[in-house]
Amino acid sequence: MSEKQSLWILLPTGQRASGEWIDDTLHSRANEQGLLERLTQVAAFPRQRVEVVRGPNADGQVNEMFYRRGWTDGLPIVPPTMARVDAMLRGAGQPRNTVLGEAQPLQGLVTVEKVAINAVMAGCEDSHLPFVLAAAQALLEPEFNLRGVQTTDENVAPLLMLSGPAAKAMHMNSRFGALGPGWRANAAIGRAVRLIMHNLGGGWPAAVAFAGLGQPGRYTLCLAEDEEFNPWESLREELGFASEDDVLVVQRAESVVNVTGGLDDLASVMASATSSFSRLHGGAVAVIVAPYVAKLLADEGKSKADIKAYLHENSHMPAADFEKSWIPSRLASQTKAPRWVRAALANGAVPAVEKPEDITVIVAGGDIPIPQCAYMPTWGFPSCRIAKKVDLPQGWSPDTEN
Amino acid sequence: MLRASAAAEAAGVPSSSLVCDGFLGQGATTAVGLGLPNLPMAKVPGHVDTQTDNELRNNLTSVTVKAVIENLTAAQPAAVMIPEPGPQEIVIEGSFDEINRFFYENGWSDGLPIVPPTRAKIGSFLAFTDLPAEHVIGKLLPDNREATVWNVAVNGVMAGCKPQYMPVLIALAEAMADPGYGVEHSGNTPGAETLITINGPIIKDLEFNYEQGALRDGFMANTTVGRWWRLYLRNVAGFILHQNDKGTFGNTWRVALAENEDALARIDWPPHAADFGHARGDNVVTISRFTGGDVIASVFGQKPEDMLPYLADALISQSGWQLIFTVGMADGSYTPLLVLSPILAETMAKASWSKDDVRQWLFENARIPAWKFEQYIVEFTNFYSGGRSMFELAQLGKANELYGESKDPDRLVPIVCDPMDIQIVVSGDPGRTNAQVFSHNGILGFPTARAIRLPNDWKNKLAGAG
Repeated sequence: MSEKQSLWILLPTGQRASGEWIDDTLHSRANEQGLLERLTQVAAFPRQRVEVVRGPNADGQVNEMFYRRGWTDGLPIVPPTMARVDAMLRGAGQPRNTVLGEAQPLQGLVTVEKVAINAVMAGCEDSHLPFVLAAAQALLEPEFNLRGVQTTDENVAPLLMLSGPAAKAMHMNSRFGALGPGWRANAAIGRAVRLIMHNLGGGWPAAVAFAGLGQPGRYTLCLAEDEEFNPWESLREELGFASEDDVLVVQRAESVVNVTGGLDDLASVMASATSSFSRLHGGAVAVIVAPYVAKLLADEGKSKADIKAYLHENSHMPAADFEKSWIPSRLASQTKAPRWVRAALANGAVPAVEKPEDITVIVAGGDIPIPQCAYMPTWGFPSCRIAKKVDLPQGWSPDTEN
Repeated sequence: MLRASAAAEAAGVPSSSLVCDGFLGQGATTAVGLGLPNLPMAKVPGHVDTQTDNELRNNLTSVTVKAVIENLTAAQPAAVMIPEPGPQEIVIEGSFDEINRFFYENGWSDGLPIVPPTRAKIGSFLAFTDLPAEHVIGKLLPDNREATVWNVAVNGVMAGCKPQYMPVLIALAEAMADPGYGVEHSGNTPGAETLITINGPIIKDLEFNYEQGALRDGFMANTTVGRWWRLYLRNVAGFILHQNDKGTFGNTWRVALAENEDALARIDWPPHAADFGHARGDNVVTISRFTGGDVIASVFGQKPEDMLPYLADALISQSGWQLIFTVGMADGSYTPLLVLSPILAETMAKASWSKDDVRQWLFENARIPAWKFEQYIVEFTNFYSGGRSMFELAQLGKANELYGESKDPDRLVPIVCDPMDIQIVVSGDPGRTNAQVFSHNGILGFPTARAIRLPNDWKNKLAGAG
């Protein structure tokens, strides 16, 4: 058999600093949960860095094998061959063995190489790697609480918002369908992050991750802030970065709630039970303002701070409604509400978040006179809005056809 | 590292090991080898020696202390076995190039092509030992993997050895597994490298070079046995760069050094192995770790008294921080090695000097001022802290009494505690008046010798081999 028909595959799965493979833990968990009938090859792989898969149809074999080993999100992956990973790593700007940290909860080492392997699988272009690395670093920050995100019964997912000139250069969508399918950067970067959580942290659904339903945002939840339709200062400038910087902002987000309307409609959604967890834990939520709505507000002379203040002020839930809602009355009755919540309740109503600055506001969406906004509630401790400046290696050139 | 903590945990006492940033990976892998993969460690950020007192205090209080408390109070997760390919498993079938790429990419090779270890090749090696393939020689830290006759042969094939080298390789594996050698120190930051010396008729049986260029690659036995050592450290003991081999620089493996036993016979000097209780004519391997050394070119003189001052000077100039193994860290474990070319040894013997006479002279004359000695172990390296002079240490019984004879900082003190600590080997170009000094790594690799056991019918088997 000729070498050309062989695929030299780098393994995407997590190995701990001690050398243990997380798959051995996952095998026990998957067995307990009855998942092995579907994932028939969990932990059945050669314990080494590289594996050779011989043709014919080596691509198909890799895909079937990876799915059965539990290494995919259920969709076909691009086989992470050494050549593809090497090409991806040329955009890394750092050595492949650099350890970024341990991914919770199963503590697979997040190395630059492992990130690149999962990025290849997700379908990333080489130019996407710096953004995937920045996202991985954000996930590893203690305030992201990756352990909680991976294991909670809630449906939380990392929300990736890119603010900077690179977004347009690499065609990351910030307009029509920015949270939908069709754009490679949105799809692949977000997917790579999910695969990293899955393969290095071991956040396998129903084995380690017990989110009741999950959400489609667990495949990918990644969009850009629109540069032209944003009438206010950019998110990056608001967070203290320079206009020419590329900054990836990561938050914990529950399912995206569509709000067709203006500030009052957004505030009414925020006032509802969608904000239960920010009232339980605190934390940062996100609001996407449609270009049309943003323009109307800016024309009225409203600043971004005005909008946050308005949403904060008008997202109060009456104390009586709050007390009888499920989470405070049944789930969290033993948990002391945060001080600001108790103080607000004493005054008769509790806002969605503690203070206006806890609301991240970006402008994105199609440029039509439709007020299609969105609210992303949050979940978990501690408050989290992680901004990572993305250092692009010299010669970074996105979207070259290959 | 971590062995004290492992002992505490094994005795049921919670432990927390303070580990500097740069060593966390090594700590994690070492812990596995100690059978406690979740041995609790508390990170000390950065390199402590380069931090101010304030920085260090902040790092300790903000990071380390929290981890220590967690280490001592939280339950540690149970150990998980790490599966590996079985020893007899075929890991790949393919072309020579493919197999080499596969071995290299999986970290099983040193970067040079290996000979693919096929079952047939391994079988030819096994024919040169009477031990069964599954015979366990010992366990090797840090990975705590079993050294077996089988994996000795596998690495022998890979290194390019001939099957008949097998008895030497088995003896080397036995020496590596000897607790006295301390293989677990092989990844220390000074990056010392093992020197293998060979004695006995096997030198000629296997065509080891023991003359001109004795320490250079070019002769299959010397070169491939040296390479086998490194491959075995990698693949069985588990020393891998950027993981638990922390050698700051390191160097390539040393080719095995065979002694010139013809020259020794002519001058009636004992072989190197005699230092370790072996008789003349025994086949023996001796291992020890050396950080470096130098050649001593053109040793001029007609009699020992003319030649030896230069050799003593070389012993002094090649002994710096290593003196901590004479006083301070592991008293009396510094055993530098001097290789004499045959003509040098013969000139000394002609004046009726025995090998021990030479050692005695070097012991008495390779001396340095006490202040200089203290500068190496205290001021320069901070290896020995506490502000005590060698005189005080000797008075307290913490240093050999040789160092307590006077308080005078200018007094001359020896670099080793005993004349027998100076190892002497005769090899190299018989006609050149050059020598070589190796600085020994002290406790990190005590000299260890092992007899080479030949299989039954050795001579016939050898005659039948290529």
